[in-house]
Amino acid sequence: MSAIAGSEFLQAGVLVALVVACALPLSGYLVDVMEGRPLLIRRALGPLERSACRLVGVREDDGMDWRRFLASALAFTAVSFIGLFTLLICQGALPWNPERFPGLALDTAFNMTASFVTNTNWQPIAGETNLSYFSQAVGLAVQNFLSPAVGIAVAFALLRGLASSDGGKLGNFFVDVVRAVLYVLLPLSLVLALVGVWQGSPQTFQGYEMVQLLEPVSVDAEGALVDADDPTAVQEVTEAVVPLGPQSSQVAIKQLGTNGGGFNGANSASALENPTPLTNLLQCAAMPLIPFALIFAFGRMVGDRRQSRALMTVVLAILAAGLFSVIAAETAATPQLSADGAVYLGALDQSAGNMEGKECRIGVGESAAWTALTSATSNGSANASIEAMTPIGTLVPLALIGLGEVVGGGVGTGLVGLLGFAVLAVFVASLMIGRSPEYLGKKLGPAEMRMAVVIVVAPALAILLAASVLVMSPASAAAVGTPAPFGFTELLYAATSAGGNNGSGLSGLSSNTPLINVVLGVEMLFARLAPLAAALVLAGNLAQLKVQATGAVGLSTSGALFAVLLLVIIVLIGALSLLPAFALGPLAEQFMGAF
Amino acid sequence: MSGKMVTRCFASALALFIAASVLCGIVYPWAVTGLSAIAFPYQATGSIIEVDGVKYGSELVGQPFKSDTHLWGRPTVVDASSFSDAEGQPLLWYSPENLSPASDEFAARVDERIQQVRAAHPDRAAQPVPSDLVTVSGSGFDPHISPAAADYQVERIAAATGRPEREVRAIIAQCTEYPLLGIIGEARVNVLKVNLMLDGVLE
Repeated sequence: MSAIAGSEFLQAGVLVALVVACALPLSGYLVDVMEGRPLLIRRALGPLERSACRLVGVREDDGMDWRRFLASALAFTAVSFIGLFTLLICQGALPWNPERFPGLALDTAFNMTASFVTNTNWQPIAGETNLSYFSQAVGLAVQNFLSPAVGIAVAFALLRGLASSDGGKLGNFFVDVVRAVLYVLLPLSLVLALVGVWQGSPQTFQGYEMVQLLEPVSVDAEGALVDADDPTAVQEVTEAVVPLGPQSSQVAIKQLGTNGGGFNGANSASALENPTPLTNLLQCAAMPLIPFALIFAFGRMVGDRRQSRALMTVVLAILAAGLFSVIAAETAATPQLSADGAVYLGALDQSAGNMEGKECRIGVGESAAWTALTSATSNGSANASIEAMTPIGTLVPLALIGLGEVVGGGVGTGLVGLLGFAVLAVFVASLMIGRSPEYLGKKLGPAEMRMAVVIVVAPALAILLAASVLVMSPASAAAVGTPAPFGFTELLYAATSAGGNNGSGLSGLSSNTPLINVVLGVEMLFARLAPLAAALVLAGNLAQLKVQATGAVGLSTSGALFAVLLLVIIVLIGALSLLPAFALGPLAEQFMGAF
Repeated sequence: MSGKMVTRCFASALALFIAASVLCGIVYPWAVTGLSAIAFPYQATGSIIEVDGVKYGSELVGQPFKSDTHLWGRPTVVDASSFSDAEGQPLLWYSPENLSPASDEFAARVDERIQQVRAAHPDRAAQPVPSDLVTVSGSGFDPHISPAAADYQVERIAAATGRPEREVRAIIAQCTEYPLLGIIGEARVNVLKVNLMLDGVLE
């Protein structure tokens, strides 16, 4: 490892340590808030919570069994879907549209709606050139609050199922969503949004600014930059546009809610969304904050914090491997960039490594760290172009998404995915030592195992099916931006991103085609709802199971042995399902470059 | 589960969706907008550099520069088709390059940019070109370049503008921002600000 990669890796390590240190107290707060315990903030926001619950027609003590909880979650997703879809296709007739953008095409609107309702935030089109402020703030940003809130509600339902042993209820879905928004997502977003504006991110409902170019430019018929005396020059451009809007408020929740959909097409690579190293640091830390806090909340809910520590160890081990690989690959850059030494790639007065697709204020190391975190946490935002990363720098996020939502994952869904793997690991370990499987003192039967398998396998299944459909369709060949094997990687990455509810993409792919929009839209809905339903069935089953007296006979699920086993199972399932596909794309590219 | 129960679920879902749309979609962004308008009016409206009524650009959005009298920024891929003004004149916007840095096409473009930079900076022939002068940024409109890339252009700018090198360096130093706490982020030079100072628009 070079000294540069070493120091960048150290910085990333400090960042992750800081996030873990903040997630610990936040987890206690999360449990207090979601369980309705008295808190100082309840005195201020309690009336708002109570009137919201009255409006929705629910009471805190009206606990739901898994059927009602699931029906509520599905009904809420359906209502959100219809609301957002209608809003996007009617954009032209709605207010806050100074740039007069028309309504979206049906397939684009379907994809965007599925994407934002499922916490994926895959975007077939760029926001600043297609979406009104109303669509951004009232359409997309509202789902940026609600989809992680649904995730928190489902995660807590599962935790309550694990913690209860007398058939207790799983909580009230609507009360959970209200509390998650009011006490967790809104206050954190408000702080992050204001820091964003202070640092330079726009926050206004006025239209875009027009500015004078210091050097007017000439463009040819295709819109490419040419010299003024070039015969192909057809037009002189003297002014430029500065897209504005309520950006900072949306960027805050985009990062905190593992959403990832940028206000602008360039996402957090745009200096308008991410103006300084301070905003970059905070936005980067915001991605794993709530997913990590939920892992700690698990230990608090089941009354044994060592359980969380075992899971967290596994998460951090995979994350460290991801961080290390991307940072090493990006600081090393490529021979194509080095051009036999004609380009300086060292660290004297500049950021060392592959600067293609990266911003000067952020640099190579922090772009690489962001890329590992955004794929591990199912966020999907970007502060650099993932397409412009080295082959290994592209493979690592692909792999981290492909492993499933386990390394932090989405808000709520990450904890569900991780617990699904934990149940699977318990089952495998028990088979090996010849005991009946038991997790947290509860005997696991075939019904529980089936649900765990759905949680673990559904995303991988969705990815492979969608990727096959895309690759087999002749229409896809026109959409890819680079020929094979990289063109294949673009399609595989899109399918993986949608199936992992991540939303990041290789932007060379022109994904706004009816085929890709519909295939990915259906895939996102399946990959979100199948594990969600399985988690609630599992929660309902677990709530019925009596806690057995745990003696020395059971397998400890809080020790190092279990952590290693869990790690092996996560990697094994990820590798078995996705490695063959990966080999055809980024691995082939890496080796073609080497020969 | 009874039909009545399902109806109740949907009624609650609809009520919550509407309440959340008002609170998170209207109250929240307007609250941030209101507070920002009071506390940070310059930043909230795009950090526009305006001198004597002329808007020269945003501090946060780079512009293409190729004149010998100006500091050059990152190479850009321009987009002149997405926006136009009231008279239909195109407005400049940018897009990223989206090329794999392991591809042949990328190698060809880097070579082309090396030639251009080399041709304009004969004084620096012995020195490799700083990487940010030959790579497109993630947004396509990076407002900054590295101090190494700025330093590389000092002699050329001094010769073309007739200013002493010391003065050009002083302007660059004035427009340089440093990493947070010395380690977070990178040192960078705001290209538009340097050029407005070189042109005498900004002091």
